[in-house]
Amino acid sequence: VHPNVSQGCQGGCATCSDYNGCLSCKPRLFFVLERIGMKQRGVCLSSCPSGYYGTRYPDINKCAKCKADCDTCFTRNFCTKCKSGFYLHSGKCLEKCPDGLEANNHTMECASIVH
Amino acid sequence: ERAAVQKAIIRVIPLKVEPIVLEGEFASVAEVTPAEGKLLQSHPLSLCNTSEDEHTESGFITIVKLEQPDRDPNPCLSLANKAKLAGERGARAILFDITDDESAADQLRKPRGLSQPVVLIRGHDAELLMGVVNKNREAHVKIEVKEPPAWPDYD
Repeated sequence: VHPNVSQGCQGGCATCSDYNGCLSCKPRLFFVLERIGMKQRGVCLSSCPSGYYGTRYPDINKCAKCKADCDTCFTRNFCTKCKSGFYLHSGKCLEKCPDGLEANNHTMECASIVH
Repeated sequence: ERAAVQKAIIRVIPLKVEPIVLEGEFASVAEVTPAEGKLLQSHPLSLCNTSEDEHTESGFITIVKLEQPDRDPNPCLSLANKAKLAGERGARAILFDITDDESAADQLRKPRGLSQPVVLIRGHDAELLMGVVNKNREAHVKIEVKEPPAWPDYD
């Protein structure tokens, strides 16, 4: 057994070590980097946490952060819920709605103008 | 003929705990220059183009514990490029614990002129440093160039 490997890998790790946590995940799980204080460890999750989106690569599935103005997203360029102060329009977060649309402060989305 | 290895003195100053003085060696992939900053661990997979390290504050010194090569058969980047990426993300210096991957020393020998120093650490010194990391103790690190011993003069 590799000297640094904890006896059983935590959670969904396929391989892991004491210092780095997960190094690879079991099939279909997502690899996420988690920082706790000065430590950074790998963890494996069945889905990406809020504020992250998942991308499947040939050798690893990874979670990456949504854009800075976005709270939850489907991909890096398709936001589903914007941060406070931004309006959602076609997957983008805007400080001001485009002409012809009005800002709905309840849903925080740009909506068609109702006459 | 292989250039002499330049030794490094690594002073680790954890909060509220006695400092420890370790020794490493500068890798010639980068400049041999002192550096200091807050110690932060980086997972080896965080230094890939497909990973954004969420750390935005710069001015830190990053420690990367390298795993045995067979545990990462298809590395996303070479070690030299990982060191370069760490520097681009704000690291003032990169420490590699090569206890489990001695091949790293050869990979980081070819000069690339990286401006942030790259220091290799192994064995007991690395164990002490990773002990600080494992206890998640905030620590400040100073990397100094170890002066070679003065030649005794035989008059």
